[in-house]
Amino acid sequence: MKRQIPLLIVMILGFLFVAHTFIPHTISQDFFDWFIKWSKVIGSFAIVLGVGSLLMVHSNKIKRKAPNWGYSWIVILGLVITSLSGFIWGIEEGTPFMWIFKSVNVPAGATMFSLLAFYIASAAYKAFRARSIEATVLLIAAIIVMLGRVSIGNAISPWIPEITQWILNVPNLAAKRAIQLGVGLGMTATSLKIILGIERTYLGGGK
Amino acid sequence: MMETIGTWLAVFLTLSMFSFLYKDNPFYKFAEHLFVGASMGYAIPYTYYNVFIPYTYNPIFLRHDYILIIPVIIGIGYWFRFSQKLSWISRYPIAFGMGIVGMGVPMSIHAQVLVQMRTMMLPLTSINLILIFIGSVSILLYFFFSKAHTGLYGKFTKIGIWFMMIGFGASFGYTVMARISLLIGRIQFLLSDWLGIIK
Amino acid sequence: MNFSDSIQKIDRRYIYIILAIVVILPLIFPLGLKTFTTPPVRNLYKTIDAAAGKPNKAVFMDFAQSPSTLPELYPMDIAILRHCFLRNIKVFTISYYPQGAAIIQMAIAEVKEEFPNIRQDVDYCNFGYKAWALRLPITLGMGDNISEAIETNGAGLRLDNLPIMKDIKNYDNIQICVEISGAAPGYIYITYARARFGVNVGIGVTAVSAADFYPYLQTGQLVGILGGLKGAAEYEELVETFAQNGLPYSAEYAENPTLKEEQYDLSKVPYKFKKARIGMDSQAIAHLLIILFIILGNIGYFLDRKNEKKKFIK
Repeated sequence: MKRQIPLLIVMILGFLFVAHTFIPHTISQDFFDWFIKWSKVIGSFAIVLGVGSLLMVHSNKIKRKAPNWGYSWIVILGLVITSLSGFIWGIEEGTPFMWIFKSVNVPAGATMFSLLAFYIASAAYKAFRARSIEATVLLIAAIIVMLGRVSIGNAISPWIPEITQWILNVPNLAAKRAIQLGVGLGMTATSLKIILGIERTYLGGGK
Repeated sequence: MMETIGTWLAVFLTLSMFSFLYKDNPFYKFAEHLFVGASMGYAIPYTYYNVFIPYTYNPIFLRHDYILIIPVIIGIGYWFRFSQKLSWISRYPIAFGMGIVGMGVPMSIHAQVLVQMRTMMLPLTSINLILIFIGSVSILLYFFFSKAHTGLYGKFTKIGIWFMMIGFGASFGYTVMARISLLIGRIQFLLSDWLGIIK
Repeated sequence: MNFSDSIQKIDRRYIYIILAIVVILPLIFPLGLKTFTTPPVRNLYKTIDAAAGKPNKAVFMDFAQSPSTLPELYPMDIAILRHCFLRNIKVFTISYYPQGAAIIQMAIAEVKEEFPNIRQDVDYCNFGYKAWALRLPITLGMGDNISEAIETNGAGLRLDNLPIMKDIKNYDNIQICVEISGAAPGYIYITYARARFGVNVGIGVTAVSAADFYPYLQTGQLVGILGGLKGAAEYEELVETFAQNGLPYSAEYAENPTLKEEQYDLSKVPYKFKKARIGMDSQAIAHLLIILFIILGNIGYFLDRKNEKKKFIK
């Protein structure tokens, strides 16, 4: 009941979907339509997982008075005010909900990740070393791509963008394809393991 | 008026985030936590208006499709995720959603593996096609660990390493580009939307 | 302290300041470097442009975005929407991320300011946010019937009743699915929509993962790629050269930068439509700086190694 039935549901649905891909019969189509209809309903409840875990983490921090617990109030306030504004005034363009998005989310989110530019510059200076022939090849390829993607590369020589395009289209393509084949086979194997009930971590721990 | 306040708030948060470059400080922490809370806050009304109302509320209450009460009950199972005793109930909605991976087996084999392999099997009519072929095969053999990488075989797999290094180099070059672009975007905001220097 | 020591031990904050200056100065004092276009971007432009003026064809845009990738991806959103509005191409927008849905609203509002005649649910339709769990069901369901798979637009109106859906039924009426994303764009469309229904797929992606998608270009699973700010700048350039002037795509113009320069005056283009191109000056100089850093760092490293060898011999 606790584990076996969910695994059985995955197995039955999994094999029905494998069959659905190959059998274009009306029964197969009806099964697919039924599944989609039900998924849409179930899907709307999944948000509880994200909101719930965030609230749990931060309310625990406040309860335990963990280091920097005061900031957890900011998280909760941010969550409550944003969602309330959506419910009170709607979520269309021009509402307070969108105002919060433009004034809080966009600047904070975009700036947080833009800090990476500084770290990569520092890493370029302090960490990217040509310690071996392979590392040298990597760095040379990177430098050519960096030059070939901007107009200065074109200004130095029209060949630089051409070589960059060749690197991307030939050796890079070969490397990424080989990796892609491995990933594709790995994904398929994982899917099979899920259907067959060998891979069960997605169900969570416990009995 | 609201637009001006919004711009100043955005500037304050942008500068607070940048202040982390000097060292961690309360301004950064404030901006970071506000961002996390507001981000999650978005999901709730969107899910209510764009998912719950059209796919659950309207069919059941307006179109009287009462059979949908069964998936509602299954969906409510998610709520038990945080209960220590009853968290097993949440496995039912998860299992229902997982079933569709069955379709992923034939479809991902097709799109990620077979189509890629088919292109590799084209007649090798140009030097580039030959290079792509050698590169991909040598990398695949490099990751084949059931045979020792010695002799001619070892030399061939070494070619694979070179191809990979060029591939990683291309990704690395592009990564530098991406990070710089993110910074440019923020500087453009400060210089244009706030200071009005660039138009 | 010798030269190599001083190179190795410089405070990282000096590096940060130099980078900031190198990014800021070209934005204030533009260098006027010209954007050149590349085949993956041109192909995407051509495919979208082929739907111009066809009431039974639409471009389907999936905004898998959040603010963290906005500087790279937003100029792409704007450029593609502008292209479609200029060339009278129907557009559908959707996002499976709540924040992506907000970005759609922002982008449409910004582009629409310049197009007073473009009407919601007639010339474009925003399907709004749909839950992540519905991604696969919707992507597959659209092969049969788009209105049934998606049901309602972002404002909650049923798609069946909207004028834009009159000549649109399923993937046969989708010119191309373009996913603009900071994560793994296009996979779901390549794996399901393209494999089962043969629909064209294009992507806009942050530069970080742009190199990973070249195998799909060669197989034809992807029609084109916009890679990072450069990809956005190229698309902006093509829209300016052709769509803005009411011209069909021409390979001769697209591939020859000197011919394009005479077509328009960049200073007269609204800021929002040239944001990526303006940024490319800073991008170019910053790349030179990073290359310089790599070279300097390596000089220090090799000098150190040489010194260590000398000590060892002594």
